Amino acid sequence: MSTANENTADGTPVEAGDLRPHFHQELAALEVQALGGLDLVLEQLDRTLEALAHQDVSLARMVIADDDRIDGRYLEIHQGILSLLARQTPVAGDLRLVASLLHLIMHVERMGDQCVNIAKLIPLSGHEPPVRRDVLELLGTMGSLTRAEVAHCKVAFQERDLPAAIDLIRQDGEINTLNREIFKAALAAGEDPDTREWATYMVLVARAIERIADNAVDIGEQVAFVVTGLFQEFSDTYRPAIRTGMQA
Amino acid sequence: MSVPLDPARPLTATGGNLRRRRRVDQTVRGIATLAALVAVAILVIVIVTVASNGASQLSISFLTKDPTGVLGAAGGGIASAIVGSAMIVAVATAMALPLGVLIAIYLTEFSKPRTARPIRLALDLLNGLPSIVIAVFVFGLLVEGHQQTGFAASFALAIIMVPLIARTTQEMLRLVPQELRDASHALGISRWRTIVGIVLPSALGGILTGMVLAVARAAGETAPMLLLSSIFGVGTTINIFGTALPNIPYIIFSDSESGFPSDHARAWGAALVLIAFILVGNLTARAMLARQRRRIMSR
Amino acid sequence: MDTSQPEADASGAPPLAPLAITTREGPPTTATEVVFELRDLGVYYGRTLAVDGVSMKVYKNVITAMIGPSGCGKSTVVRTLNRMNDSVPGFRVTGEALYHDNDIYGPGVDPVEVRRRIGMVFQRPNPFPKSIYDNVAWAPRILGMKSGLDERVEKALRGAALWDEVKDRLKGSALGLSGGQQQRLCIARSIAIEPDVLLLDEPCSALDPIATASVEELMQDLKRTYTLVIVTHNMQQAARVAERTAFFSLDVSNGRRAGVLIEYDDTEKLFTRPNDKRTEDYVTGRFG
Repeated sequence: MSTANENTADGTPVEAGDLRPHFHQELAALEVQALGGLDLVLEQLDRTLEALAHQDVSLARMVIADDDRIDGRYLEIHQGILSLLARQTPVAGDLRLVASLLHLIMHVERMGDQCVNIAKLIPLSGHEPPVRRDVLELLGTMGSLTRAEVAHCKVAFQERDLPAAIDLIRQDGEINTLNREIFKAALAAGEDPDTREWATYMVLVARAIERIADNAVDIGEQVAFVVTGLFQEFSDTYRPAIRTGMQA
Repeated sequence: MSVPLDPARPLTATGGNLRRRRRVDQTVRGIATLAALVAVAILVIVIVTVASNGASQLSISFLTKDPTGVLGAAGGGIASAIVGSAMIVAVATAMALPLGVLIAIYLTEFSKPRTARPIRLALDLLNGLPSIVIAVFVFGLLVEGHQQTGFAASFALAIIMVPLIARTTQEMLRLVPQELRDASHALGISRWRTIVGIVLPSALGGILTGMVLAVARAAGETAPMLLLSSIFGVGTTINIFGTALPNIPYIIFSDSESGFPSDHARAWGAALVLIAFILVGNLTARAMLARQRRRIMSR
Repeated sequence: MDTSQPEADASGAPPLAPLAITTREGPPTTATEVVFELRDLGVYYGRTLAVDGVSMKVYKNVITAMIGPSGCGKSTVVRTLNRMNDSVPGFRVTGEALYHDNDIYGPGVDPVEVRRRIGMVFQRPNPFPKSIYDNVAWAPRILGMKSGLDERVEKALRGAALWDEVKDRLKGSALGLSGGQQQRLCIARSIAIEPDVLLLDEPCSALDPIATASVEELMQDLKRTYTLVIVTHNMQQAARVAERTAFFSLDVSNGRRAGVLIEYDDTEKLFTRPNDKRTEDYVTGRFG
């Protein structure tokens, strides 16, 4: 049994009274690794949005290649979870955390895939495509809002911040609105077939960004699950009829 | 320690310490062994002396014929004394065994620590009473004003045997694991039924062992015989309540006091019989006890 | 426990839910008959308070587990249920322990009769030094169930999943069986007198994993006929075996050291989202 101020061999501090410090450290490390996947997604998203803004095909190619890193991270964490379940029999809060990490890395992987989808669309739109300024601006706003939302969902999970997780719904609502606007703008792109083709690709891009934002909301649902023990879908009309935590 | 011990160093001792240590070790060991041998030697000497002096007497007729009744005459045997001792000890056991066992049952099963202590103390003191004192007490109680009887001797022997039986029985009852009693109680069996059905049967071997040891001890007690059963006739009799019975300890005593060598020889023979009985009794008891311990402990 | 929330305010952000008030006992997911009801049960040994304020219901044909760190009163509570603590000096009970609505410690209650209906299996297997047959038949014989003894013995040994292994050596000594077999023999011995409840005080502590598994499997069969209460140090065992679990711990406030019931609920609930932080800390190993 650990007493206060005792550290484990690698120097990380241990909670006083913890009977299973190695297990809990392993779990904490797994969580850090999983959240690190979100950092990878943010990197990919930044590059994707830049490639989109400047029609940078080589940057887009890098994004596609780097998705391997996210896939690799997924496999590592998946294996880590299996190992933890088999060896340590987590229960209660620990068990909920492990289950949520399983969901989290799936969402990370999907977000990575959506970045790849966007990156694949960039060269398709051709060199020097006819660009509609308004659509590009909307996409830019949508992109940065989504980027912020992904960053927020990471912090919400890290801090187990339920209100912050619930706020993701609101952010997602704004992104959905932007998505509809881009769709309308694309419809009004004009008669020129090249423009129309480009606009259609941009609709697909917008959809991919919207999917990334949805995955971030799903991660918010996992935050609620870890904190409250109940799983509820975060819809637009979400009303949490749940306790915010345990009685101390 | 300023210089850390190198574990890979050769394992020889440092300095000349080793030789001195060895010499001291061996000396002490020698003295201790010698002491043990002395104890064994004493026992052996006693047995050998008695055996060599008494062996010549041993014969079927010695064991089956009554004494001749004529002072100094050769021939005859100690049959009456064997029968008499057997009867006295048997009656004593019949009185001491139930009492001793019941006392032990009370101490281990029913008493609280507060009441158990004075009773155990009383038993210890009783155990320590000199047999002559017990004999005088019984004399005053049963013989004075009446006459000697074999029963009086049995009574005195019983007083001597009760603490022994109670002590051994208590040890054996304590050896019965509490979990057996718990198991029985948990089945809805009452206290006394548990004692009779589970505890006593488990301890039975040990109880009998205690009894054998007490019998072996009582068979040789001389002081009660002197005071309570020393005036008797020549023939074998079983009238334990009516008269004193011949017995081996008294025969040894009176024959060795006599002036005739043939009587002395008979005393040696009787002593040999007594020792043989006690040795066999002790060894049997020990073997039974070991077997009992093994049975209870085999879980 | 869940409480419903007021509607969101005008900004659309949902309000935070207030902390729900929880009772110590959550209701069972399936309503069943109550076998034991403890009402504010306290246990004293002389002046020392060993267990305080335990209130809970044990349901019929359900396996109820009691878990918690050492010395927190689980064994004391269980032994109080069949009056096995009577012989402990200074033992005293406050509050009520109701068995089918009868107070176990009421006036005129015969402890022997209590134990007739509420049997107990102990931590270390403790078969009598008799034959296998006599181990099972001894108590029924004494209690007057003399007819059909052979059938009764067979039924009990079958009920304990031991019959096939010993049917050819019923006259052999019980001490010759393995640990797991001995413990199942003790179970057979208990069920031979047809009790209503079986209390098991850490029944697998002295057994190897295979014997443990066989006893745990047996318990699933036994619960169809009897009501089982098991005390265990092994949380995982409680999780595997019991439908309801009660978590006990030590209360060291006010200078006393007494065992108290912290939380009692469906096992699944206790091990996935316990209400009380102390429960969470114990089952996750953050505090022993």
